[in-house]
Amino acid sequence: MSLFWIVIRQLAEIEAMATSKKVITKEEWEKKLKDVKIRKEDMNKLVMNFLVTEGYVDAAEKFRLESGTEPDIDLATITDRMAVKKAVQSGNVEDAIEKVNDLNPEQSFLEELEKTVALLAFEDVSNCPVGELLDISQRLKTASEVNAAILTSQSHEKDPKLPSLLKMLIWAQNQLDEKAAYPRINDLSTAKLEDPAV
Amino acid sequence: MTNNNSGSKNEEEVGSYFLEVARGAHKKKEEEMEEDTEDEECPTELNTINSSGGFLVVSTDKISVKYPSVNLHGHDVGVVQANKPAPVKRLVYYFEIYVKDSGAKGQIAIGFTPDNFKMRRQPGWEPHSCGYHGDDGMLYRGQGKGEAFGPTYTANDIVGAGINYASHEFFFTKNGAVVGTVYNDVKGSLFPTIAVHSQNEEVHVNFGQKPFAFDLEDFEKQERMKQQMTVEKISLPPNVSHGIVRSYLLHYGYEDTLNSFDMASKTTVPPVHIAQENGFDEQDIMYALNERKTLRQLIKNGEIDAALGKLHDWYPQIVQDDKSATCFLLHCQKFIELVRVGALEEAVKYGRIQLAKFFGLAGFEDFVQDCVALLAYEQPRESSVGYLLEDSQREVVADAVNAMILSMNPNLKDSHGCLQSCLERLLRQLTACCLERRSLNGDQGEAFYLHRVLNIGKKC
Repeated sequence: MSLFWIVIRQLAEIEAMATSKKVITKEEWEKKLKDVKIRKEDMNKLVMNFLVTEGYVDAAEKFRLESGTEPDIDLATITDRMAVKKAVQSGNVEDAIEKVNDLNPEQSFLEELEKTVALLAFEDVSNCPVGELLDISQRLKTASEVNAAILTSQSHEKDPKLPSLLKMLIWAQNQLDEKAAYPRINDLSTAKLEDPAV
Repeated sequence: MTNNNSGSKNEEEVGSYFLEVARGAHKKKEEEMEEDTEDEECPTELNTINSSGGFLVVSTDKISVKYPSVNLHGHDVGVVQANKPAPVKRLVYYFEIYVKDSGAKGQIAIGFTPDNFKMRRQPGWEPHSCGYHGDDGMLYRGQGKGEAFGPTYTANDIVGAGINYASHEFFFTKNGAVVGTVYNDVKGSLFPTIAVHSQNEEVHVNFGQKPFAFDLEDFEKQERMKQQMTVEKISLPPNVSHGIVRSYLLHYGYEDTLNSFDMASKTTVPPVHIAQENGFDEQDIMYALNERKTLRQLIKNGEIDAALGKLHDWYPQIVQDDKSATCFLLHCQKFIELVRVGALEEAVKYGRIQLAKFFGLAGFEDFVQDCVALLAYEQPRESSVGYLLEDSQREVVADAVNAMILSMNPNLKDSHGCLQSCLERLLRQLTACCLERRSLNGDQGEAFYLHRVLNIGKKC
């Protein structure tokens, strides 16, 4: 190892001692990464879960064929749900209510859903006490809520797991920062390992 | 500049990486369950060797105690610990006692004590221990004087004691309800401990061999949700999940899915735009998308000959060296496919030609022996080498070929990028960070295991 790197390492250790943090070199860290067992089929499940909860029906079907991963819910139910979502997003109130009826969730839930969707029925802003509902962003929000509500009524998780895992990664790194200096991933989209801060 | 030299070095690296994965599958079968909850020992009964001798009587089944005589002072407590310390590599540890008889004075205690505890004193009366006492409902943690804590308890009560590794707390329950918590700053292993101190007291202990009065599963669920809520508050860059899924599809060559995904993304409201600035470098992974997809399909269908044919046409350099790890994996898979359809004679012939050369070669030997062992069984699927017949094995070969092709990309910037998708690297980092954090925390608490997270809710 060149003198340069020896000095760098010692500087890191001195700083770590000052803050009593454990120093983990890139080499040591890469060995720990290598020891982790990640199954391909689990990653496939994670991707399928994303496609399904976000409503990418065709893509989910293709992924099932190309990867052999079974979706954890019936793909047909996604199509119906996406139809409702699109109708709400476009402001087609009657259409949305009709499609919700087709889905046939339990009675009490149905009322809630219809109420939510019916709020879009107020075309005339001056008449509508909550005129902001007409706003595109509100429609998107409502559509999202309707999507989630349907998923819940069908006893499925409404959120894909992947974003939670990404948040967990950020959290885990922040937690570990308190006790150690180690190679971090700062850019989730590239997953590039940065050298431990000196 | 041709990358011939670095090319073959890349090939070796890629080939041996996936050979490791294939060999790892054998060991994986043996550790099907999550790694750590299995290797830590748990208390199962009371320790009769170091208990306070003549002061108490432990039953022959080692799960109950009696205090037979009359107590005279504060140093004749009948204390007994569990046979093992509380395991730490989990969210919570918990156990319960049932007070069969509160005897003369109901001076019963439940708590945790260290290895070298003075076994004639109530838990909590000595440093580094804690105890919840039935006669006064107080909590003792290291001093003679206790603090007001919860209700008293007596005959027919079920009292529990637990360690919450997430919140670093001791907690105690009475008849199924938590009565209080207290901070746990004790370092080192702790033994579940019970104590009796007046005549005729009798206590039975439950280390989980029977259902608890307390809903431990629900408690754990609540704890996990607390952490989950903190994590959910973190914000992510926009569309980052979308981009990671897209790069996953590109990396492994799931072309049809990718096209479908891209098309649908254009029509979502609002449409998802992946800009180059986000860091997704298409140059590297768009490479040879159609060829990779074709080869994956062939291998996943077990059509190894066809796959080898295509490779000869498109990437002869990959199948040039018959002794390379990639060729090895392909030949082994062909052998496995022959066994699968029962063409055993053909399999033997093929094995003699293509696999025999790997016997005695370090790194290949154990895997090729497993393959050949398939011939020995009438029901190979049910044997210890049955894992070779699973789809996951085809997947490894498909991934290996995929990575080899990616490594052929003349514009390749990062040779390691061929081996693992972005998603895989993120998941490894997450797992390693959680494990390291736990290790720096006295190994206490739960780590992250993708397999468990994905299968929550699938338990019966």
